[in-house]
Amino acid sequence: MIPASKRYLPPEALARIGRLELRARTVVDGVLAGMHKSPYKGNSVEFLQHREYTRGDDLRRVDWKVWGRQDRLYIKEFEDETSLRLFLLVDGSASMDYRPPRFAQTSGLTKFDYAATLAASLGWLGLSQGDAVGCAVFDDRVRASVPARTSRSHLASIVANLEQPRQQQPSDFRSVFRSLGETLPRRGLVVIFSDLFGDRDDLAKGLRLLRQRGHDIAIFHVLDDDELDFPFDGPTRFEGLEMPEELTCNPRALRAGYLEAVEAFLADVRSRAATARCDYQLVRTGQPVDAALVNFLARRSRVRS
Amino acid sequence: MPTFDFTSLLWWGLPLAAAPIVIHLINLLRHRVVDWAAMEFLLASQRKYRTRILLKQLLLLLLRILAIAGLVAMLAQPRWTSALTSLLGGRRTVHVVLLDDSFSMGETFADAVAGGETTAFGRGRRMVERLLEELAATPGRHELSLGRFSQLAAATDSELPGDSPPAAASGSQPSPAETDEEQSRLFDLRGEPVTPQNLTRLRRAVGDCRLSAFATGPTAAVRAAAAVFAGHDGGGAIWLVTDLRSRDWMAAEDTVAALEPLAAAGIEIHLVDTAAEADEPATTTDPLPRPNLAIEQIEMVGGVPASDVLLPWEVTVRNLGPEPVRDIPLVIREDEADRPGVQLEQIPPGDTATARFESRFPAAGGHFVEVELPADRLAADNRRTAAVEVVNKADVLIIDGASSPNDGPGDAFYLATALDPGAAAATGLRPRIEPPRSLATLDLDRFDSIWLVDLPRLDATEIQPLEDYARRGGGVVFFTGPATRPDVVNQTLFRDGAGIFPAPLAGAVDLLTDPRNPDTPDIIAEDHPVVAILRGRRNPFLDAVRIDRYMAVERSYQPPPDSGLRRLLSLRNRAPLAIEKPCGEGLAVAILTTAAPAWNSWARNNPSWVVVMLELEGQLARLRRRRENLLVGEPLTLPLTPGVDRIDVEFLLPPDGLLVRQTAATTPAGGLEARLTDTASPGGYTARWQTVAGEPRERIAAINVNPTESALDRIAQSQLARVLTGVPYRYERADQLEPDGASRGGSSLVRPLLVLLLLILLAEQLLGYLVSYHPVRRRG
Repeated sequence: MIPASKRYLPPEALARIGRLELRARTVVDGVLAGMHKSPYKGNSVEFLQHREYTRGDDLRRVDWKVWGRQDRLYIKEFEDETSLRLFLLVDGSASMDYRPPRFAQTSGLTKFDYAATLAASLGWLGLSQGDAVGCAVFDDRVRASVPARTSRSHLASIVANLEQPRQQQPSDFRSVFRSLGETLPRRGLVVIFSDLFGDRDDLAKGLRLLRQRGHDIAIFHVLDDDELDFPFDGPTRFEGLEMPEELTCNPRALRAGYLEAVEAFLADVRSRAATARCDYQLVRTGQPVDAALVNFLARRSRVRS
Repeated sequence: MPTFDFTSLLWWGLPLAAAPIVIHLINLLRHRVVDWAAMEFLLASQRKYRTRILLKQLLLLLLRILAIAGLVAMLAQPRWTSALTSLLGGRRTVHVVLLDDSFSMGETFADAVAGGETTAFGRGRRMVERLLEELAATPGRHELSLGRFSQLAAATDSELPGDSPPAAASGSQPSPAETDEEQSRLFDLRGEPVTPQNLTRLRRAVGDCRLSAFATGPTAAVRAAAAVFAGHDGGGAIWLVTDLRSRDWMAAEDTVAALEPLAAAGIEIHLVDTAAEADEPATTTDPLPRPNLAIEQIEMVGGVPASDVLLPWEVTVRNLGPEPVRDIPLVIREDEADRPGVQLEQIPPGDTATARFESRFPAAGGHFVEVELPADRLAADNRRTAAVEVVNKADVLIIDGASSPNDGPGDAFYLATALDPGAAAATGLRPRIEPPRSLATLDLDRFDSIWLVDLPRLDATEIQPLEDYARRGGGVVFFTGPATRPDVVNQTLFRDGAGIFPAPLAGAVDLLTDPRNPDTPDIIAEDHPVVAILRGRRNPFLDAVRIDRYMAVERSYQPPPDSGLRRLLSLRNRAPLAIEKPCGEGLAVAILTTAAPAWNSWARNNPSWVVVMLELEGQLARLRRRRENLLVGEPLTLPLTPGVDRIDVEFLLPPDGLLVRQTAATTPAGGLEARLTDTASPGGYTARWQTVAGEPRERIAAINVNPTESALDRIAQSQLARVLTGVPYRYERADQLEPDGASRGGSSLVRPLLVLLLLILLAEQLLGYLVSYHPVRRRG
């Protein structure tokens, strides 16, 4: 069996791929190459179309009649499956721009880079499956968005949307999720890529709003390794990316308290996500993107089955 | 309190302890900047743990400061004066060290510090050096006085003669030293400030202290020390550095009495035991025995010290140990030349054994006989010296008052023949027959003994020199006879017991025959050394002596109990035939019959006559010679003749013949006497002087150690506590207070400090680890 360290693309390798689109394709290729069945399996009575079999599709959904006639493998697709609307919601607030000071030892990706790569990869995966994929980047409001489309060429629009310059304002989940809930035309899967730094009550309310609109919600909680491990040593002045405060301290002394606070934060976020029936996944920037993606797909598969 | 060998290093290094604070401050200025997103959590942590963090940081800072300070302190070689400083206390400033230098302190021990052997005195001296070092390293002003028992004994007159030395260089009997000047002279160090600057000088003074040959106890030294504390209102300590022998401490009422006022004045009393051994029981009422052999006495037990005369000697060796000792070889030297030795077969514990040997000196003059034991724990008592003045012939004065040469062989003739039988039997004696008036004209001290035969009368001018001669140690023998007038003897010589004659005479009587026991000998030998050779068995020669007539003692005479009267010979009717009476240092013997075979048959071809007379002469002459065997510390006096001898006398002192010149002084009695007080060394002393006519004269004397000091048995600690009841004291062992090698005193704190430093560093690392981040290695 191939070890996990070899099976997935490490973030360091991914960082060397400059273009986000290419990066996303690379991730998805890796994901698909490693899977033996399609992550999606739909059950519906309303036939939509035939689609040529691709590796990983569930063999139970092969149209054996067509195979008997034409000797070619086709998959029957139904209305429910093809109507999946995937909306990628990427946090573009200032806090997502944290870059570890020890560049050489980390991926070099900011949380936003990581989130964007993950979002683009998921978008490409969806497009590859024929889903309609839309995308928005937000901070205190939605800064840029593209509507959901099913065309494979739509990936370029998604990537362009993600690469637009950002305002780097603090996040305002409530207003952003409310406006999205009002503007998203149909029910779909809203995937949020964010560090969730902000008012957590607003976050919970925003999530509830989206749920009330009938959206399925998945959260990629993207945090940097430094934010989870706090490996700092020596006198350091921390200057807030979203907050005006700064703190000069010996990080070693504060580490235990910091980790306690982070754990409490994560627990709170998990709790609130569970309350809002959101699919929550903590992702470290040191974690391979494709691995995070595979984990997500596996979780979704279990949810659907 | 701690002291440091390198104090300057401490003062230069301690500021380095501020380095962690400086580094901390620099680090605060040299921080890096991180743009941080999760400020919320950081601020929460900071709010929550502000106090704890501050305390941890302060503790960490403190540990680092302590680590540097500890390192600096360790490099400065700290030491804790625990063993002695706890005794010193720090408050007292006056210390009096009394160092026992009696020769029992020469007992040897294995030297645990330097290897080989050391003595109790060496232990004590090293302990004093250590004390000096500790005092020098202890803050405050400390004054130290150091005195030796032997020297301080001169400060009082409490010690017995021979136990203490005379006042140094005073030329007189030991007398109380009352002035400060005298006190200062008696102490080797007096009130010396103990500072690092004069430490070398003080140590040298301690090193100059030598073991003496005296047998001095602690009492005199304690009394002398009391004078040091007189007028001192502060505290102080007295350090008795001694070997705690039983004889000094089992019955130490005087010492306790001397210590009590010191203790009452707040003076701390420390008994520093220099002769302790690890396996000694601490609780016993019996003295703790130590093996030791000592020569107690060498004595010439007969003969006449004349040239070419065989002299019999007796040496007495005492076994002072708890076990019997066997096969003890004795080395004998005559004038430093080895002679065939003798061997003692066995000496029971606590008992003595005697060996006899003989010597013969071909030349007249002073000669030394020395006997030496094999080496044991105490060397000083293994050698003993005797001096003998050998003459060509020893003059014996015979005063013949009755017979004249024309009367044929008389008493004097028979007596002279007995004392000097002729060349075939050399006795070394030279009898000289003189009339009674010679007693007034001759120098009687020249004679070994004086014999008076059948004197009708002596006048006062003749009796006085005779009695003076006897009181000075001379031996006088009276023979009675037909010319002897009992009433005159009783009036002039006996004088109701005040005179020289042993008993009052009643008159001449015949010894009646005993028809019932015709074979009973006329003479019975009593228990007396002179006739010991004839006593205890039937002696045909003595039994053959027939006594026809004798001078009876007054029947009613009862000698006083303290008269010392002893019988040598008795008649078969239990009447005394020969009696002796002590007279001053001398002896008077009355033989109540004639010397010539007029009233008896003794002198007529009976060998026992010669034997008894020679034994008697030897006994009387030993009285004079015994005075020359002196003990260490006793002054050596040399009587001179005014108008005959010059007053300048040279004394040659043992062991190296050190020359000491003395001038003779007039005695209260009008005589002339040269006196040597510096008799601290045992061995043979020689005095040389000249007569006015330029004739050289010489006299020798042997001075030996006091054998009572040879008992090495010690008092147990429990017994010591009982003896010193009421006197608070602290018992210390000198061998546990000795400095090691290059020690400056005190217990080195380097090792404990090193341990403490390691603990501090460990705590610093632990605390540092707890407050720092250590990334976990991820597998794979």
